[in-house]
Amino acid sequence: MTEYFQDYITVGAFIGLGAVLVLAMLGVASLLRPSNPTKAKYLTYECGVDPVGDGWAQSHVRYYIFGLLFVIFDVEAVFIFPWAIKLEELGMFGLVEMVVFIAILTVGLVYAIRKGVLKWE
Amino acid sequence: MSEQQDLFTAVANMWKGFRVTFRQMRKPRVTTQYPKEFREKPQRFHGRHVLNRYDDGMEKCIGCELCAGVCPAKCIYVRGADNPIDDPVSPGERYGYVYEINMLRCIFCALCVEACPTEAITMTHLFEMSTTNRQDAIYTKDELLVQPDGTPNHMFDEDHLADFGELAAADGWMRATSPQGRADFSGVPGWTPSAGVGLRPAEQGQSGTEPEGEDA
Amino acid sequence: MMPIWLALAKVLLAFVVGLGVVVLLVWFERKIVSDLQNRIGPNRAGPFGILQTVADGLKLFFKEQITPSRVERFVFELAPFLAVVPALMLFLVVPIARPIEITLDGAPYLLSFAALDINVGLLFALAMSSIAVYAIVLAGWSSGSKYPLIGGVRGSAQAISYEAAMGLSMVAVVMWVTTLPGVTDMGAMSVNEIVLRQQGTFFPDLLALSWIPQWNLIPQFPAFVIFMIAIFAETNRAPFDLVEAEQEIVAGFNTEYSGMRFAMFFLAEYLNMFTMSALAVSLFLGGWGGPFLDTIDGWAATALSFGYFLFKTGLVLFLFVWVRATLPRFRYDQLMQLGWKRLIPTALLWLILTTLVVSFREFGAPWA
Repeated sequence: MTEYFQDYITVGAFIGLGAVLVLAMLGVASLLRPSNPTKAKYLTYECGVDPVGDGWAQSHVRYYIFGLLFVIFDVEAVFIFPWAIKLEELGMFGLVEMVVFIAILTVGLVYAIRKGVLKWE
Repeated sequence: MSEQQDLFTAVANMWKGFRVTFRQMRKPRVTTQYPKEFREKPQRFHGRHVLNRYDDGMEKCIGCELCAGVCPAKCIYVRGADNPIDDPVSPGERYGYVYEINMLRCIFCALCVEACPTEAITMTHLFEMSTTNRQDAIYTKDELLVQPDGTPNHMFDEDHLADFGELAAADGWMRATSPQGRADFSGVPGWTPSAGVGLRPAEQGQSGTEPEGEDA
Repeated sequence: MMPIWLALAKVLLAFVVGLGVVVLLVWFERKIVSDLQNRIGPNRAGPFGILQTVADGLKLFFKEQITPSRVERFVFELAPFLAVVPALMLFLVVPIARPIEITLDGAPYLLSFAALDINVGLLFALAMSSIAVYAIVLAGWSSGSKYPLIGGVRGSAQAISYEAAMGLSMVAVVMWVTTLPGVTDMGAMSVNEIVLRQQGTFFPDLLALSWIPQWNLIPQFPAFVIFMIAIFAETNRAPFDLVEAEQEIVAGFNTEYSGMRFAMFFLAEYLNMFTMSALAVSLFLGGWGGPFLDTIDGWAATALSFGYFLFKTGLVLFLFVWVRATLPRFRYDQLMQLGWKRLIPTALLWLILTTLVVSFREFGAPWA
């Protein structure tokens, strides 16, 4: 049973160590640092001038498109990984299928480029 | 700027840039390890002011307030007073009674040095002038005045002189002024170093000898 | 079947090595950047300024931590954790030394030095670098101010663009490595396995060329270039450091962070730099391999291989620093254009090419 969980325990221990490190550093820092709260310090920083407007700004929808495209290509990479491992067993059929898969996604990328969503940032 | 440089040229140019930065590693570094080392200042460096004295110890400042008048930052405060008869501070009738320079306002333009008729105020190579409060940055007369042997005052323990030789080579503004406190100015200027004592060697066009004659 | 204490010992080893190298890395970068810029870097704190990182860290301990009133508290405090922990986790799958035969319960066991020796190691690494993007965007969003928000969104957009390219180049490597003869039964997605398959030379029979090691650098050189460019952009390093450049938008997504929380982002950046370099070394430069490793044996060979690993990672880190000192910063639209219009199509093209070559080798020509 521990054999199965061994890897998870390793990952969990590492996360724990990392979290403990960050917590320890922040904790020690909270003991050592001064605390002189003044009202001016808690204003948002806008290069020294008084902050204007709300805290939020509108983001361009472009960033959403980048996120979308990233998901597509990352999932594509994730799908190609196991096929790359089992290349020999899947034979010619698998190869052609994978090339078709990559081609379809490439067509999608070309479409996005031609449509201009990847222009000007 | 060619937009469509081919890839090969672009990579070749990048490689040239990489070579330039890599070559810097083999050159000697240009950093000066202050405060263990000092960089030599140019001869006419505008450092801290000093009020000079003549050879015989009398102050050169006559309290004429010309420096205060010309100062664009209005940082000099001078008040003159009559010389006491039996114990004159400066040759002449008046001397600088109050003399203060606010170093926080000074822009180190050396107009005061230009304006001074007696070469009383000159600028040295001293540049370490940090203080911890604004009051200390107003240099008073006894801080500015050089000591009787001509050395400037050390303001703080950490105040270094790179080397006194450098200070001696430092140069105030050259002026043909009445030298050595002599009333009879016979047209032979004596050029004093900014440390306020002694006589520099004669420059081109000047006589190297002092005129004869005694004066107090 | 490894006892738990051994697994935890490997975790501790990876942790210590990672943090130790990062502390040295900060000093290394400052010294090398200053050497490349013809000046002396830090040289007062300790001999040759080695303790400069410690001094900076101590300084940050004593700084007052100002949390502006408009922040989202929970996310604001979570972001430094999300920055540091995934950066550390990437290092789990990287083998730092040669596997060694030990006896466990009387049976021989090949102890590998990747703390997490799983057969999907590369996928795990990709996943961890994807999680690291969260820190940027959450830090920017939770700061409650326009400029960190913009900085965070742009930073995360940059990271994900280059991550797609990174993933695709890694796929090409895996595909190529699958054709190499296997060493353990882990399969070509395990980083340990990839390093093991890169040992040996290309032409052991030809005397003149027998020294060329079997590193993936040579058959997968375009993937190496794509991967290197991608990790420069992933770690927000020059020339892709627009989102955190001091001259541009103060500090971008970590404007509102002060004191130790800022130190966490700083630490995370250098951790990322180190772990990505370690991954690059393992994937392309033969990991811990080097000359004379087959002549000696046992723990001495393992130590030597660790030395090789550190040396190669040091070379890649020197490249990081060299590039930072040399190249000017990309403008944001140039950056995104490079990522989407040049790097990803190149990665896809190289992937298809590798696929064709690999399948020719495996199945022969299709017209036969």
